[in-house]
Amino acid sequence: MGKALKGWLWFWVPMLLAVSLLAASSCFAALPRPVGFVNDFAQVIDQRTRMELNGIAEKLRDNQGIEVAVVTVATTQPETPKQYATKLFNEWGIGGSEDSGLLILLSVEDREIQVEVGYGLEGVLPDGKVGSILDDAVIPYFIEGDYGKGLLEGTKAFAQALSGESYSRKSSRNPDLTGFIIFIFIAAFITLSARRSPSGPGPGGPLGPGGTMRRPRPPHIHPMPPTFRGPRGGGGGFGGFGGGRSGGGGAGRKF
Amino acid sequence: MRRSWIIVVGIIIVLALGLISQYNRLVSLETNIDGRWAQVENQLQRRADLIPNLVNTVKGYASHEEQIFTEIAAARSRLLSAADPRAQMEASNSLDLALGRLLAIAENYPQLKADASFVRLQDELAGTENRIAVERMRYNEAVQEWNRTIRRFPTVLIARLFGMDARPFFEASPGAQQVPQVQF
Repeated sequence: MGKALKGWLWFWVPMLLAVSLLAASSCFAALPRPVGFVNDFAQVIDQRTRMELNGIAEKLRDNQGIEVAVVTVATTQPETPKQYATKLFNEWGIGGSEDSGLLILLSVEDREIQVEVGYGLEGVLPDGKVGSILDDAVIPYFIEGDYGKGLLEGTKAFAQALSGESYSRKSSRNPDLTGFIIFIFIAAFITLSARRSPSGPGPGGPLGPGGTMRRPRPPHIHPMPPTFRGPRGGGGGFGGFGGGRSGGGGAGRKF
Repeated sequence: MRRSWIIVVGIIIVLALGLISQYNRLVSLETNIDGRWAQVENQLQRRADLIPNLVNTVKGYASHEEQIFTEIAAARSRLLSAADPRAQMEASNSLDLALGRLLAIAENYPQLKADASFVRLQDELAGTENRIAVERMRYNEAVQEWNRTIRRFPTVLIARLFGMDARPFFEASPGAQQVPQVQF
């Protein structure tokens, strides 16, 4: 095998491998990524309401260790809103190490709201209670078409029902290092392949193996890939959910 | 002569280590299925516990619908007395059908539909159906991995050797795909 070809392989094979691994690790689920406690993907919540919702959610997280996610989507097709809610809840990992999470999902075109309750909150928020909160605080506004107000009043009612509860703020999730590790691999392979690059002199050349002269180092790359998600910082801000789980509990309404 | 013995012993050791690790993998897969099934059972039990309350509430408004009440009671006791997963699955599916009919009957009684405790029970029932669906899915995933593994080489040899069999999936009954919804 020619030297040039060998060097070429050394560079491109690991590169392709790393890129495809990265792609696989970040794109295998078609679910959106969370942008905060309030994820208004269907754009039905006005700015003020969103701020207020965010304030309630932050307070719940910081004071009681409860994570609330408010999500609006245009549609959940081909899945039912409930199936989508359960998938989203577990994919995002809403709630801390005690599974103290709550997902409020509005699917606008399906005209349906689904509330998914994390395992840890099932005791305080039995399905019947979730249903009655939806009937009393949310559905009246939804029927008038005021989605923002309905979600806000609903979230307030859930916060009220959860008052006095307190859970661990710890995350049950190890910091997601997959992207980081893959990145290290890329960096290592690039460095390796640069060392063996065909442009370098071969054995027997003026700088034979074991030569003491320094070669130019490859440019340093910061090991901070886009998918890296560190452990949560304390107080204020969103900073990711804590790895909570759910098993289909909660209630929903069509309207 | 001595050298060939060392090679033979080495090969045997490598094979034995492979066998042990594959066997352990199979054991943990099988344990996983049992754990998943226990979760399904939990939720089936939870639904069975809800039913008497639900039936009593419906009876308060529709006492003459005797037939459906006896049907549900029969399906429920069959579920509670079922011994193995297969029987439990069958009983659960017939209970699904009976419950679906009960809720359809309830549609004809506006006062019943407006009853606060009926609405609450219906929410609990819907939530439990959803939980069963989730646990059933997780159980089926575990079964799928198991069934795939014990058909593959080389684990198929170990599975045969230790008499490990394929496990049944928990299929939903055709009439029970829709979770009861509370609609306004």
